[in-house]
Parts: sequence; C-alpha cells; structure tokens
Amino acid sequence: MRDVKSRIHHSSIMRSPRKRREAITFYLFISPWLLGFLFFTLGPMLLSLYSSFTDWDLLTSPVWVGLQNYSDAFADALFYQSLKVTAIYTLLYVPLDLLGGLMLALLVNARMRGVRFFRTVFYLPTVFSGVVFVVVWLWMLNPRGGLINLALSQIGIEGPRWLMDPDLALYSLVMMSFWGWGRSMVIFLAGLQTIPGELYEAAAIDGANGWQQFYKVTLPLLTPTIFFNLVLSVIFTFQTFTSAFVATDGGPLDSTLFLVLYIYRQAFQFLNMGYASALAWILFAIILVLTLIVVRSQRFWVFYLGEKAQ
Amino acid sequence: MNQVDSEPMIVQPRGWRKGLRYALLIFTALLFIAPAFWMLSSALKPNYEIFAIPPVWWPSSPRWENFRDALTALPFGRFALNTLLIAGFSIVGHLISCTLVAYAFARFDAPGKGFFFVLLLSTLMLPYPVTMVPLYIIYSRLGWVNSFLPLIVPAFFANAFYVFLLRQSFKQTPPDLEEAARIDGANTLQVLWHIVLPISTPALATVAIFTFQATWNDFLGPLIFLHDQSKYTLTLGLSFFRSSYDVNWAYLMASSLVISLPVILVFFLAQKAFIQGVGYTGSKI
Amino acid sequence: MKRVLFFISILLIAVVGLAACGTQEAPLETVVVTQIVQGTPETVVVTQIVSEVVVVTPTPEPPAEGAVTVVRVGTGDSGEGLAPHQQIIQAFEDANPEIILQLEPVAGRDYYARLLTQLAAKAAPDIMQVGDDAVPSFVEKGAFLPLEEGSFDPSIYLPGLLEPGQVDGVQYLLPKDYTPLGVYYNKKLFDAAGVAYPQEGWTWEDMLATAQALTKDEDGDGNPEVWGIQLPASWTTGFEYWVAAAGGRLISEDGKSFVGYMDSPEVIRAVQFYADLYNKHKVAPPPADLNQWGGGNAEFGNGQAAMRLFGRWPQSGFKDNPNIDLGVAPPPQDAVRANVLFWGGFGVASTTEVAEETFKFLNFYTGEPGSQVWKDWALPPVQSVAESSGLAADPIEGVWISELNHLVPRAYLFTPYWNETADPALRKALETVLLDPTADVTAVMQQAAQEAQAALDKLLQ
Repeated sequence: MRDVKSRIHHSSIMRSPRKRREAITFYLFISPWLLGFLFFTLGPMLLSLYSSFTDWDLLTSPVWVGLQNYSDAFADALFYQSLKVTAIYTLLYVPLDLLGGLMLALLVNARMRGVRFFRTVFYLPTVFSGVVFVVVWLWMLNPRGGLINLALSQIGIEGPRWLMDPDLALYSLVMMSFWGWGRSMVIFLAGLQTIPGELYEAAAIDGANGWQQFYKVTLPLLTPTIFFNLVLSVIFTFQTFTSAFVATDGGPLDSTLFLVLYIYRQAFQFLNMGYASALAWILFAIILVLTLIVVRSQRFWVFYLGEKAQ
Repeated sequence: MNQVDSEPMIVQPRGWRKGLRYALLIFTALLFIAPAFWMLSSALKPNYEIFAIPPVWWPSSPRWENFRDALTALPFGRFALNTLLIAGFSIVGHLISCTLVAYAFARFDAPGKGFFFVLLLSTLMLPYPVTMVPLYIIYSRLGWVNSFLPLIVPAFFANAFYVFLLRQSFKQTPPDLEEAARIDGANTLQVLWHIVLPISTPALATVAIFTFQATWNDFLGPLIFLHDQSKYTLTLGLSFFRSSYDVNWAYLMASSLVISLPVILVFFLAQKAFIQGVGYTGSKI
Repeated sequence: MKRVLFFISILLIAVVGLAACGTQEAPLETVVVTQIVQGTPETVVVTQIVSEVVVVTPTPEPPAEGAVTVVRVGTGDSGEGLAPHQQIIQAFEDANPEIILQLEPVAGRDYYARLLTQLAAKAAPDIMQVGDDAVPSFVEKGAFLPLEEGSFDPSIYLPGLLEPGQVDGVQYLLPKDYTPLGVYYNKKLFDAAGVAYPQEGWTWEDMLATAQALTKDEDGDGNPEVWGIQLPASWTTGFEYWVAAAGGRLISEDGKSFVGYMDSPEVIRAVQFYADLYNKHKVAPPPADLNQWGGGNAEFGNGQAAMRLFGRWPQSGFKDNPNIDLGVAPPPQDAVRANVLFWGGFGVASTTEVAEETFKFLNFYTGEPGSQVWKDWALPPVQSVAESSGLAADPIEGVWISELNHLVPRAYLFTPYWNETADPALRKALETVLLDPTADVTAVMQQAAQEAQAALDKLLQ
C-alpha cells in the first residue's frame, strides 16, 4: 500500500526505486504547468520584480533606483490607507463568502421540484460582467430613489448615503458582495457530492439527528472544500479592483481606495510603473505569507477521505 | 465494492420542512433575481427613463426593439464566434492540463512537492496591472499579439485555480479503486481515465463551467491582446456602449442580458453533471 | 467526463447558433478586409486558425505583396462614436487605395492602460488619440513625432484648438474633437416657473437667483421635486472653470507652487460658492455617486433639474429626451468671463515605420475632409466647416463654438505632475466640503495646497 501522507526525507526517497519512480511520475505529470510557468509566468513575474527596483514611466527605459520604491512605499500615507481598506474588506468579505456560499449550497442540495431553477437563480448575479453588476448595485444604493432607501422610507427610516458616506462606503461594498455567493455555492455543492452516503446511514444508525449529522459528517468531510475556498478567497479578495474602480473610484475621501486600485492608478494614471510594481510585490508578500499560514494549518483541521488515517 | 444509494448526499425534505425550505428558497431567490429583473426592465426603457426617481418598475411601453438595435449596433455575431473560439479551446486546455497536474499533486509524492504547490498558488498572487505589461512584451516578442494565441495557449499549460480545485476533489476520493486497478495492471494514465475521471465529474464540470464563464466574461485579456475589431470578444463589445462621459444604458443592459444567456443555459443544464455525477461512486471506505 | 463533453458541445452549438443569427448584420467590412490584408508574420498564423471556423464575409482579392501599407489607428472612442471614424477611414481608403487603415478602438478609460502597455512594448498604433492632460507627458517622453511647419495648415482651425497639441511651441497633435463647458437648461421647467432663460453675460449671482427661483419643494420634505442646477460634484477638471471665473489659478506660472494659489482668496471664493450651491442654498441635488455611474447624476435627464453644467458629451441624448426642451447657455461669469476646454487629438507615434502614410491620414482626418464627417456627430474643429454647415450660427451648437473665445489655460499645462499631485488633493478637498456642510473652506484649501505642494516638491527634487 502506498503511503500517501508520507513525509520522508529526500535521501530516503531516492533510495527506494519505487519512490524514485513515483517522483518521476509526479514531475512528468506536472510538466505542463512547469513548462507554462517557465515560458509564460516566470518571465512577467521577474520583469515586474525587476521594474519594482526602477523608475519606469512605461514610455522611456526603466532607470535603476535600488530600494527607493520600497522605502517610498513605507512613507506613503495612501499606501497605508489602501492597505487598511483592503485588509478590512478581506476580513469581512472572506468569512461572509464562505458562510453564505455554504448556506446556499445546503439550501439547494435537496431533491425538490424546481431546485435546479433555484440553483441557477443563486448563480445568476455572478454571470453578469463586473461593470454591469456594479452599476445595478449603484442604482440600488442611490441615496435618493434607490431601491434600498425607498424600502427604508416605507418603514419610516431615513436611509443613509451609502457609497457617498466615507464612514459607510467600504461596508456598502461588503454588503454588495452577497450577490457573489453563487460562485462558492457551486464549489461547495460539488464538494458535497463527494461525501459518500453510507456515512450518513451509519450516522443515522448511531442515532445522530440532522444537526449532529451535519456537524459530525458533513462539516469534517467538507473541510477540503472549505480549505480551497478559504485560500482562494483570501488570494482574490486582496486583489479586489472592479467594484471600487467602477463604483467609487476609491472615494469618497479615499475610503474605498483598494490596494490594487492604487497600484492601477500609479501605473496607468501617474505613469509610475516602477512604484506600482513595488506595491504589487509588497502585496504579493502579504498574500503569500497568509496563504502559507493557511496551508500550514491544513493538517490541524482539513480531513481528506482519500488519505488513510495514520 | 458495495453499491449503495446512488445519490446519497441530496436531502429529500418532507412535510413542514419542505414548506420551510421552499419559503427560504423563494425569499432568497427574490434577492438574487433582482439585478436581472432590473436589467431587463432597464433594457426595455428609453435611456432617460432608466434612472427616474421614483423608479419606474416596468416601462409603460416596453421597447423590445432595444434588443434588436443593441445587438445589431455592433458585429456581435463575429464577437460571439471569437469568444466561443477562445472559450472552447480554453475549456479543452484546462480539462486536459489541469487534470494531469492536479492528479500529480493529489496522489504522488516527490521531493519539492510542497514548494511547487506554493509556487503554483503564488502565480495567482501578483495583481494584473503590473503583470500585463511584461506579459504583453513577451507575447509581442513571440509575435502572438493581435491573435487569440495569448488567450488560448496558456490554458494548455494549466491554471493554478483549477489545479487546486481538482486536487481537492481527487484527494477527497478514496484511492482503493485506483489501487485495485493498478494491481490489475493498469498504468497511471489508464487509472486516471477509467477510474478517477468518472468519479470526478462534478469537479470537472465545475472547471468547465468556471472556465467557460471566465473566458466569456474576460475583459482585460482581450483588451490588451486583441487590437483590431474583427478579433474583439463580447465583453469588449459590451464596453463600447459606455464611453468616458456617456453611457447607452438600455443597449448595455440589453446586450449584457443576451450575452449572459449561454452561460445561464450551460449552468442550468450542467447541474446534471455535477449533482448526479456522484452516481458512479459507491466505494466502501 | 462524457457528460462534461456533452455539455460543452451543447454550448458550442448554442453559441454558434446565436452567432450565426448576428453575423448577417455585421457591418464592419473594413475590419474584415484589414485582417486579411495585413501580411505580417504574426497574423498569418492566426488567420489560418480563424479561417477554418470563421467564414463570415467573402474574402476580397488579396492585393499584390508590398502594394499596400497598413496604418494602425488607436482611439478611445467606441460604440456609435466609431461611425465617424469608419466613414473617414472609408473615404480615405477610397482616395488612397495603397493605404489600409486598421481601427483599434478601446472604450473610455481602459484606453490608456492598453495604449501605455503597447507603448512600453514598442508596439503602439501608428496614429494615436490622446486627451488633453496626457499630451505633455506623452510628448516629453518621446511618444509622438513633431509636426514640421508646412506639413499642416494651422490657419484652418477654430481658435484655441491647436494649443493643447503643442509642447514648447512645437505642434505634435492636431485636434480631433473638443468641448468647452456649458449650461444646459430645460425650457419646460423655466417656462413653468416663469423664469427668464440664462443669457450671455449672466453672473454667478444671476445663476444662484435663477436656480433658487427654479428649485421647488412642493411637499416640503426637504427633498425638492425640481432642483435649480445639477453640478458635477468633485470633478476636478470641470472645477477649473470656477477657479478661472473667480479670477484665480491653481498653480503658479512657473509650475512650481500650489501654496499661494490653491489657497488664494479667489480659489477659496470659488470653492465656497460651489459648496454653498449644494449645502447652503440647496439648489443642487447632492451627489449620489462619485463616478457619475448608476444614475447618481440623472436629475437633468429626468426633468428634475432645470440646469446642468457639463460638456457637450450627453447632448444628443438630451435632444431626444421628451422631458427636456433643450437650451444651452455659456457658463456664468464672476470676476472673469472664462471657460475651459476638453480636447482630444491625434498624433503620429514616434515608433511608426510608415510615417509618410500616417501623416497623410492625419492631415485628412484632422483637416477639412475629416471635419466634414465629424460635423454630423460632434463639434468640427475646422472653422470653414463650422461656418458652412451652419453650426456656428445654430442656437445650441453656436454657443459651444463661440465659447472657444473665452478659454483659459488648464492647470496641467504648467506641470507634468498635475495628475499625481494637485488633482488628488483638489478632489479630496471638494469631497470634504461637499460632504461636510460645516467644513471650513479656507482650512480645507490650505491643507490641500500643502499636500499638493509636498507631493510636487518631492517629485521636483
């Protein structure tokens, strides 16, 4: 039997011909990605790393400035502001997205008439292109005549100014995000299908009720999916761009100035591609560290059916 | 092998539970269908009525001709063919390459595996505004700019998102069947094809749907790499209805709705694949 | 797996069907032609792939090798705005069969991201459209070829249209289209309120009085049904008009100082007056949406604001709008009768390998033949066309054209760093005073001037 989870030292792997064959197969199988990485991804990454050490306006040749861009960044109030905005948004968005997606998935994971229709409806908002989607929200959040404040006024509440209120704009964007839950719903739905039914039968024989079944069977076996959604949600949420670019352009008073929006502005509006690259690499480092933490934490809470219990 | 109920995970509520679930479904659905409703109602209005205060829920005389006019204002047929070409190749490319790579990450051990997995994920971590210029420079050196190649070829070299997705799915399936097939003399590719892929239909369908939707809606890729209009995609066409200072809302909404239909249709139909695909499983732990 | 493939094929069929319905009406013959003609190595590969799948239009006779030159045209116009480009290109190609134009449009503000990417890769279009405030930096960094004297006729243009294309007295770009600011007004609302239409020579005080007379809050809920004037919130470039009219300026002549300018009494007066229209007099609908998307600025179009200060861009929509009986007036004067220009021009890329052909097209496009087409879509830059077409005497278009006599130079002309120094500071200041009625305008502008100055000093070091 192959021991999937083995963490054997390099030398001992090479000592066993079986292990060596397995390693060769591994590299053979990942070679499409490895080649693509070398040809298409590594180059741009290194180029942008290089340009982060230069003064580059895109129109003339880059000029080497060493660590100047990085030291500028750490003295740039807008960099800190954009980092704060991005961090708050991520902190709120990621758990909401995981919870919302999971709830929707559980809701539509039923054998009922019309359930396919409901799944499609929940997925629907993610289908429309980013700009159109944001514009619909803008209309709903319009302080005068927008749907939400209109509804609030019906029950005698004067609605806030949403995206025009610097204290509220970022949270309005978080609120908007529930329409994107359909995406994680789909992934959870696919994850739910990998849980074998016998486990539930066994749990039912043991007298577990619905909630216990969820807690003892569904949740543990869904941890690989949760892990996946968590890692990618963190990676992508830190790079939020479209909603702010279209809805608020970073305002009012920089309250929605996301880091990638600031990077875009530095690169293509101020022609500081060197500085923009430095900011991007700082962002890269932050995301990488967070991802490593989540990946490392895996062994404490993620449970794979395909792996033998040790 | 112990064949059990083929669709075990799907609950089948009865009685008041069923009523409650329907109530929840309908309430949530109203929230999620609101944007589409507003888009449809806007698509049928003249531009000056779209942002009326108080809002006009449904135009008194719906302008269905807005759909015709929006779709003939630009060569959307050509745009659709271009987009389809890119989407089709990307789906095929992702299904082949990501499956291979993900299977390796899920099942084989090798020195450096952990490093390469993090390296794989790290390709998702640099924001596009700083990679698009170097990417463009590389593709223009290759002579691929103003062609579909920069949008298609990379799909055949795997994408971290889908590799990760499939890896999770593969790791979730017990390896017993694969072991058995291997003892029967099947090689790795045969195991992959005959054992792993059939079990993994839900995940593969998810990859196909997501790839389809991502390429269908991709904006920045086509924006940078496709120069002349005959090669433009649907999202680039959509963007033509908004210039810096003026937006043709009715046309934008009408064409967005029509362009989204294939994605909606595919999603509706493909549910069979990722909900019932589980029928193939049934292995004992 | 089979099912996945099954659904992919369903999808392919569905979309091919959709595409087939649409293609018959595809009008872009020029584009199809260029794709086939362009004989550069990189496109050959693609056309081979494409040609198996895409059979849309009959292939024209391929011209003999080397017989044609392809000129790439980059523009930020889109949608219906492409029609005049295509007409001009068609006319030029008919007259010059040896030259083929390849139009490469990108909508709105994504245009610069693509153009800069292409410039960085030395793969920019041969002729490029650039907006006013991008001209100095693009030119200084060598993106454009200078236009030699005698290679174009500077006497044909309306006043004020050549300057935005010049750097240090040398012409680099020629005007494509333009608009000053104007005040749209809705005669229906004026007539209903019995208020006289705005006239040349009206002042800020007249504007305030007019707006007050038009603002109507019948039900007294503090939310008027009709507003006096819709203003462009924290739009900084538009705000330069208010500064100029008050007799102020935002930056010193030598381009080195914001302190003493952005916080001068004239600028403070302009900001105070502007903010008061919103907060004190409440004649302007409060901004709902900073980016002017999503209907935050729809009051004039809804017939719920009697006036609107803006450029000519949305005018055609207003003319078709049954809520509106449209008139256009000059912006009111204060200490100075002033206006500011928004301008887009074409220039020849310094990387072009077909300079001769590109210059030829540039002259055609920005000269009389091009203006003859443009006059049906926007304001024509060529004086003789503006006059012969009757636009200069038109009660609406004539207002825009005669505003060219009142232009003051925009602030970006005095420093290449305007966009990253004073622009964000000014925008933040305007947002502050618009959002907070109790804000001290003097203090806000002093802070803005200092922020802008600090940013500029750092760059000038």
